[in-house]
Amino acid sequence: MKKFLSLALALVMVLCAVPALADVAADIEAGQALTHDALVEKAKAESGTFVVYGNTSRISTAAEEFAKLYDIPFESNNLKDQEIYTKLRNENGGAAADMVMIQDGAQLTDAIAEGLVLNFVPAEVKDVLDEADQQPALVHQYINKLFIYNNLGDSVPAIKNVWELTAPEMKGNVIFKNPESEKVNMNFLVMCTKEEWAEKLAAAYKEWKGEDISLGEYKNAGYKWVAEFLDNVTFGKSDTSIAEEVSQETAAGKIGLFVLSKLRSSSVLTDNLTVAQYDASANGYAVNPFAGFMYPMYTMINTKATRPYTAMLFIEYLMTQDGFKPWGKSIGAYSPNPAITVNEGDLTIDVWKDNLVMEDADYILDSFEVEDFILQHCQR
Amino acid sequence: MPEIILKNVAKRFGKFVAVDNLNLHIESNSFITLLGPSGCGKTTTLRMIAGLETPTEGSISIDGKVVFDADQGINLPPNKRDVGFLFQNYALWPHMTVYQNIAFGLENLKWDKQRIRTRVNELLKMLKIEQFEKRYPSELSGGQQQRVAIARTLAPGPKVLFMDEPLSNLDAKLRMEMRAELKRLHRDTDSTFVYVTHDQLEAMTLSTRVCIMETGVLQQFAPPLEMYNNPANLFVADFMGNPTMNFVDGHLDQDGTVRFGGMTARFEHAGEPLAEGDVVVGIRPEYIHIDEDGKLEATVYSTLPSGMETTVKLDVDGTSLTAVVFGDVDYPVDSKVKCSFHKAAVLFDKATGKNIGKGKLVL
Amino acid sequence: MDQARTQNVRMNRMKGRVRAWLSKPANIILLIFLATLAVLTLYPLLSMLTETVTIHVGREARAARLPAGSLSLYHFQRLFATAENDYSWIQFYQPFLNTLLVSVASSVIAILFGGVVAFLVTRTNLKYKKFVSAVFTFPYIMPSWTLALFWETFFKNVNIGLKTSNGIMASVFGVYMPEWFVYGAFPIALVLGLHYAPFAYILIGGILRNMDANLEEAATILKTGRGRIIRKITLPIVKPAMLSTFLLVFASSMSAYSVPVFLGSPVRYYVLSTKMKSLMDSYPGQAYIIVGVMILFGVAILLLNQRVTNSRKQFTTVTGKSGQISKINLGKANRPVAVILVVILLLVAVVPLVTFAMESIIIKAGDYSPSNMTLDFWIGTNLSERLDQGDSTGILLNPKVWNALGYSLGLAVTCALVAGTCGILVGYGVAKRRGSRLASWVNSLSFFPYLMPSLAFGAIYLAMSSKIPWLRGFLLLGLVGSVKYLPFASRSGVNAMLQLSGEIEEAALITGVPWWKRMIRVIFPIQKSSFLSGYLLPMVSCMRELSLFVLLVPTSNTILTTMLMQYSEKGWAQFGNAINLLIILVVLLVNFTVNKLTGASIDKGVGG
Repeated sequence: MKKFLSLALALVMVLCAVPALADVAADIEAGQALTHDALVEKAKAESGTFVVYGNTSRISTAAEEFAKLYDIPFESNNLKDQEIYTKLRNENGGAAADMVMIQDGAQLTDAIAEGLVLNFVPAEVKDVLDEADQQPALVHQYINKLFIYNNLGDSVPAIKNVWELTAPEMKGNVIFKNPESEKVNMNFLVMCTKEEWAEKLAAAYKEWKGEDISLGEYKNAGYKWVAEFLDNVTFGKSDTSIAEEVSQETAAGKIGLFVLSKLRSSSVLTDNLTVAQYDASANGYAVNPFAGFMYPMYTMINTKATRPYTAMLFIEYLMTQDGFKPWGKSIGAYSPNPAITVNEGDLTIDVWKDNLVMEDADYILDSFEVEDFILQHCQR
Repeated sequence: MPEIILKNVAKRFGKFVAVDNLNLHIESNSFITLLGPSGCGKTTTLRMIAGLETPTEGSISIDGKVVFDADQGINLPPNKRDVGFLFQNYALWPHMTVYQNIAFGLENLKWDKQRIRTRVNELLKMLKIEQFEKRYPSELSGGQQQRVAIARTLAPGPKVLFMDEPLSNLDAKLRMEMRAELKRLHRDTDSTFVYVTHDQLEAMTLSTRVCIMETGVLQQFAPPLEMYNNPANLFVADFMGNPTMNFVDGHLDQDGTVRFGGMTARFEHAGEPLAEGDVVVGIRPEYIHIDEDGKLEATVYSTLPSGMETTVKLDVDGTSLTAVVFGDVDYPVDSKVKCSFHKAAVLFDKATGKNIGKGKLVL
Repeated sequence: MDQARTQNVRMNRMKGRVRAWLSKPANIILLIFLATLAVLTLYPLLSMLTETVTIHVGREARAARLPAGSLSLYHFQRLFATAENDYSWIQFYQPFLNTLLVSVASSVIAILFGGVVAFLVTRTNLKYKKFVSAVFTFPYIMPSWTLALFWETFFKNVNIGLKTSNGIMASVFGVYMPEWFVYGAFPIALVLGLHYAPFAYILIGGILRNMDANLEEAATILKTGRGRIIRKITLPIVKPAMLSTFLLVFASSMSAYSVPVFLGSPVRYYVLSTKMKSLMDSYPGQAYIIVGVMILFGVAILLLNQRVTNSRKQFTTVTGKSGQISKINLGKANRPVAVILVVILLLVAVVPLVTFAMESIIIKAGDYSPSNMTLDFWIGTNLSERLDQGDSTGILLNPKVWNALGYSLGLAVTCALVAGTCGILVGYGVAKRRGSRLASWVNSLSFFPYLMPSLAFGAIYLAMSSKIPWLRGFLLLGLVGSVKYLPFASRSGVNAMLQLSGEIEEAALITGVPWWKRMIRVIFPIQKSSFLSGYLLPMVSCMRELSLFVLLVPTSNTILTTMLMQYSEKGWAQFGNAINLLIILVVLLVNFTVNKLTGASIDKGVGG
């Protein structure tokens, strides 16, 4: 019996042994210095399937093109942020991703600190990108969620000021995704309470009402706006369904806050929709103080990657004009690489940056109480 | 041929004692009945001998071979004990035909096809079920199913055959018929039969010896008629015989005078004189005769005539006695009759219930 | 010398007893399952409990102001006792009350609906019985969210919810349902109740079908009224079955995720499972506490159930077979009752399928004109250019879909084989050693996975697999699926074995038939249809399972349900609907085929 026990124990230990991880960090450092051709050579020398996880469906198209170009077997997966993080934390070996495309800068900051993922900046873009887009994580693209409204009927909510959304008559007419189900939405609301945005919101309030804001119980104008905005909001299931719903003939008077790129969907009745910021630009004004928000999508390498060089090569590819194509072919995605221009009809990234709320990971990470406050107002 | 010996066998389920310190010597070729009320441990005993249940204590040997010994750690599985078992509910396999049911065990013993065919045919013929060969059990009557089950059990030619209340699911007429068949089968197969039943009539009529049990303890192990006439204790006396023995509380004097239920009689018996004390007097109903010359006056309380015999309930000076009168006679209720005791009566110790003597009651 | 002998005897006795114990296959089976199930169910439970006191890296550590990995009761304090911003109320107490309400209501609905239909089918001369009993299990075969989705698309209108579009009820019939009818507690409970009503139908129907008619007839002779008979005699007899149904439906409803998401979120109605999901992202410790609360509830009901059924054992043994059952004549009410029933079943079981078919061929939502219809989402090519959406080919031409279908089927068959076979073995062991402590342990352990919410079960197994490098991919999915669906299989296994008298096996044992041969040649063939049903139920559940597998699949294209989820996430509704329909049709086809070939059916599995 004793013998059996010790044997069983030994067996369990052997089975549970985690294979030594290749030192991906060292590989990345080495990869940083390689020329494109040398990188290709190194990547091709790696074995196994190249696996990517992405929070964007178009990653599969990009990976497909990439694989064709270099003849590398690949697998791409479209997952939600949380699923990606959970998988990164728990998966080992073959099935795990080599490289991820991921959003929510706040959580990414934690993930980097935890040692889940590593950053790689291709030599080609090192000099052209803003420092903020390279460190601590390489930004592949920015995505914007905008106030977009149904342009039918008599009461078109063509807002010029976000405080209009808090008016009693807008109750039930504003549609947004539940901030609990997608962190970037939560991040946006949290950012509104940051001092700089709170001040702008206070100014906007004055412009709207013609009088100074009275805060009452709220800590600043940001809190007040978030609370009153959420009180008017109905939660939709996904950005796609929100886009579809707001575009219905029967949805006159409705306004949504969702990703601009959804306007490409054939199931959305695009003609019935007007982007608040487009309308404002065309008529020479701006939505006060913001027309929505914008957040980055990052590319990172898994610390446990089995094909780190292929991951680097893929990131290099993604940062080129060709690599950006799957996203760049329609509106709503903006490369930080100035060489890649925006679509016709869309606005440039600089215009957006001036008119949209951007994530500040440090502020968000320190503001979990704000999240509680937001949750409270997500309740009925 | 084979004999079965049980030594100090006990079976406990946790604190519950199913069988306690059982010693049995079942002789070769005998037809033994394990008899007792439900829950007395008879089925457990049978299953222990067959190997379907493991005893807690003791040893069992079949045909000189030790099949179980708690102290030596011996425990042969049922299939190594060369026994057959006939189950109460027949346990026929519903998805197999009659032929397959009988042949399945033989196939498993790796008999060749021809030999199986021959043996099955032999059994089908012996039990008169040839025409049902291709039928499924659900297409047979209870009696036919019983025959198939017997055929299946006999097929490998076991030296010992165990039967667990095999007739209890049959109607009265069929039961009588099957009893006769079983007795004949015992002779023809030349093997040892161990039979479990709660029906004393079955035990009386079938077996060469009866083992009667109560709450896990052996009460008496004897040939049926001996058990009937000279029961070891009150329990056995009460269990054997229908209608049951009359029991009347009484007192035995030093001089052999018994006073019971308002009657006084002298107890005549062979052997040492009995000690004075409280007793129970046991009289078989057929030994109470109703006749003109009787010395006892009785009133007829009720009668149950069945044609062949009549059971008469009598009231003797406030004591109720049951008598059996043979032939088609009847008595008017409440009529006065005379009666007397014939043949034997048994005295039991009032305190222990043990048989203290068999003799004659002389009024 | 003497001492040595006694010692020797004692050794021998010990050895003999152990050998005798081990010579019974039932004991070995129970021992193996006790060990295996302890690892596979208690380990996850323990690791889950550990999670509730561990501070996780990231947001949790930051919010708790404690180092990651440290042990603390912080999560409990935060989830149960944080008044600030109504945190505990919002995250726990309110959803907890909602969960209770919804779960109790759905159990009651399931018992009422399933029970009444079971009564009508077994005890009355109802018309269209065949159709009713054939279609009644459909809602269970379909993923529960399909009914929720259908409910919303059918009843939504511009006065409620998002207030943006009209469903069929409003646009075609001009009927605008009120909000409480379409969103919130009522439809959630109703949809879950309808989804699980087949449990009640099967369990209660099983008893009613076998109930000795004499029991009722005896009462009739005593001039008891019909209503009184049902109340005083029939109901008490089916009470254990009703309690079992309550347990099954309550536990399932409590952990149901997609239905409350579809029908609750638009009106901000949250339940524990939806809260658990969103907490799992940033505060896993609190999420696992919620899982723990859900399990506790399940266990409490399980214990209650056991106590009641134990003390009322006499009732369940009444179910001896009786040929003559006096069927109640419904008389004039027969046709109206039958028609109402058929209409409800059509609405619940057939109309959703038609709706999915419709939704999978229209291009722009809500427009049902022929010009807006296309089969492109099924068989089109080059779609990404033409529609700028979704995959480039229709699902039937998409090799990924076929691969996923193959994988799903393979997984479902594997889980069914493993769970079903284990279920038979557990059933054998438990029935043979009935009443022993070992048997009741194994019996409870094998039911335990049922009480674990799928999502948490998957998450725990993912964490477990991270420590065991070879445990991944198909192996991991197969293991998780088999364990999670073992309760179905072991229930039907135990039931089937209990119906089989021990003598049947002993008759073979005595002629020396080895154990495996007894199982294959004797026991299995006799209870074939019950056992096969034990395979069928895991198979069906596995085919339509999402939350259990979502974290564990190697890629989102691996199985059909994650693929479906991905399509709906991206808003490619037509592809999603097409795949949904594909899943349901495959499951129905499998169910139908197995049923026709072997006579096994889902209803026999749960307790028939």
